[in-house]
Amino acid sequence: MARRIVITGVASHWGAELARRLERDPAIEYIAGIDTRPPSVALERTDFIEADIRSPLVSRILPGTEVDTVVHCGILWYPEEGKPARALHEINVIGTLQLLAACERAPTLERIVVRGSAAIYGCEGPVPLFFTEELAGRLPLRTRFQRDISELEAYFDNFARRHTDISCCMLRYQPEIGPELKTPLVRYLTLPVVPTQLGYDPRLQLLHADDATAALEAATHSEVTGPVNVAPSGSISLSRALRLARRPSVPIPHPLFEPALSRLGRELGAGVLYGDAVRFLRFGRGVDNSRLRKEMGYELGFDADAAVRDFAAKASGLRVGPALHPGAVLDRLGVTS
Amino acid sequence: MSQTETRESAPEVLAAFLRQVRLGVEDGLDPMAAAERAAGALPGRLSWAVDVTSRRLRGEYREDGWGFDEEFAEAVYPVFDFLYEVWWRVEAEGVTNVPAHGRALLVSNHAGSLFPFDASMITMAIMKEHPLPRWPRFLVLDWAFVLPFLSSFMRRVGGVPASPHNAMGLLREDELVSVFPEGVKGTGKPFSERYRLQRFGRGGFVEVALRTGSPIVPVAVVGSEEIYPKLAESRLAARAIGAPFAPITPTFPWLGPAGLVPLPSRWHIQFCDPIDLSAYPPDAADDRRVVFDLSEQVRETIQENLYEGLIKRRSVFL
Repeated sequence: MARRIVITGVASHWGAELARRLERDPAIEYIAGIDTRPPSVALERTDFIEADIRSPLVSRILPGTEVDTVVHCGILWYPEEGKPARALHEINVIGTLQLLAACERAPTLERIVVRGSAAIYGCEGPVPLFFTEELAGRLPLRTRFQRDISELEAYFDNFARRHTDISCCMLRYQPEIGPELKTPLVRYLTLPVVPTQLGYDPRLQLLHADDATAALEAATHSEVTGPVNVAPSGSISLSRALRLARRPSVPIPHPLFEPALSRLGRELGAGVLYGDAVRFLRFGRGVDNSRLRKEMGYELGFDADAAVRDFAAKASGLRVGPALHPGAVLDRLGVTS
Repeated sequence: MSQTETRESAPEVLAAFLRQVRLGVEDGLDPMAAAERAAGALPGRLSWAVDVTSRRLRGEYREDGWGFDEEFAEAVYPVFDFLYEVWWRVEAEGVTNVPAHGRALLVSNHAGSLFPFDASMITMAIMKEHPLPRWPRFLVLDWAFVLPFLSSFMRRVGGVPASPHNAMGLLREDELVSVFPEGVKGTGKPFSERYRLQRFGRGGFVEVALRTGSPIVPVAVVGSEEIYPKLAESRLAARAIGAPFAPITPTFPWLGPAGLVPLPSRWHIQFCDPIDLSAYPPDAADDRRVVFDLSEQVRETIQENLYEGLIKRRSVFL
């Protein structure tokens, strides 16, 4: 059972959310958060340690905290302000490697949880529709992010093999949705008119933000080792998700999708979708969540359908302007009662 | 009341409908909900159509985790019904050999070079002739799931990429699954080799059935070989589009899109007696000999039934 915990990447949304949840748990004696900048939300009893996990300095800090659990939330899925695309590899791979090196020197350590990504399975058309954990690495590594994730998982596996006394758990997250999230995918889903790829209708699993945090907390306390998929049950097609969210869509031939979307993203200040998302929105991806539900014992609050419905209900404030409103259209057509 | 309404002209009905929608929107209803309410005042069939359309547009329909959309399958049903009844005049025999509930694996020969219709006709036979109809799912050639339109169509009507993981997943949910172990070797064989079963892969379908404890129902389809007789193939074209093979038939590509119209052969589908595998222990799937023996048994059953069907057939087209 975790009592003294370090969260890396505590300034990220998920790091801060986890810290907030753990603070409420009286069984936890001590929480520390490592990041390069302080978290934007107010944390009550989390010790903030300003450090870059890419630097060897972490190796000196970590043993001093005498923690039993490390939760690594520092893996970035897409570029952020101050963290350009070029820095992602550094942060994700080198950062994890330095962190593992630091963990080697922490004798009190019992458990490491890494908040990784289901992007390791890639996005392909002809594949198992629900990937189980052991199927990773059977598919081509097509994007840079996929290669990075696969590389850091290899380092992590290696670490787990060398340290049988430390329980190592790799969480493979499907993309999250929630009205408060600022991810490129959420921004994409709330565009006034959503471009889609002509002739493709991907099957998606979008994880509800509440489940994303709660599963992370469950993994912190659990003893399950190895990779665990974190995803809602079932799946939903992009077309139906957009209909539920009442977003009109425009199909674009798929070779033009990426340029069109990055142009649109810049114009709207919504940021550019990363390369993985383009494949994700063409082929989609489904993973099997039975390890999460049965072995880790986490029961998800939302399935794939409910997660999108909840998102649609809460994100409705971001509606299209009045011009497209059917009432206005009928007025213009001269239909009067 | 409906009497008077059906006599109204189309523009009048439309204007009345739009008026109702507007009233609904003014009452603070969602535009789609308003349309649904307004549809209540329309004549029967039209009101039903508006109802379904508005429900679909709002995303209020069911898709299962595998992407099967039953309403969509029902919507395209008439097209396949026409092919079944009129175009190929399919006769199905022994359809009650398909279990009415619970998991089962349908194993069939595979033919029809350009576009194999056997999965759809087996589906139609079960939907039309079985006392307790159910939608079978089917494993589809991987390439179809790379292509636009075809990939989403296949998914909606119950197709999944051909992978043992998908087959096992569906069977564990007690679905009926059709597989075609010949795969591309079956559809891509020349016309001169019609009705000669090709190698049944590595017997993967037997492993799937053993691991999930599903009975196997062999299915023999006669008539499917003549719909697009493959006379030759173009390696160059296949490589250019990434297809497993590019067939040349008497009509395709010579007649352009008209060459895609299948020939109207007469079909016969024989559902054979189910093979119960419950006597085998679960680890029998790892025993190569058991797997190959069962695979061969299924293959022989289908081959025999194919020959029988061919002998009984009086003419290919009539």
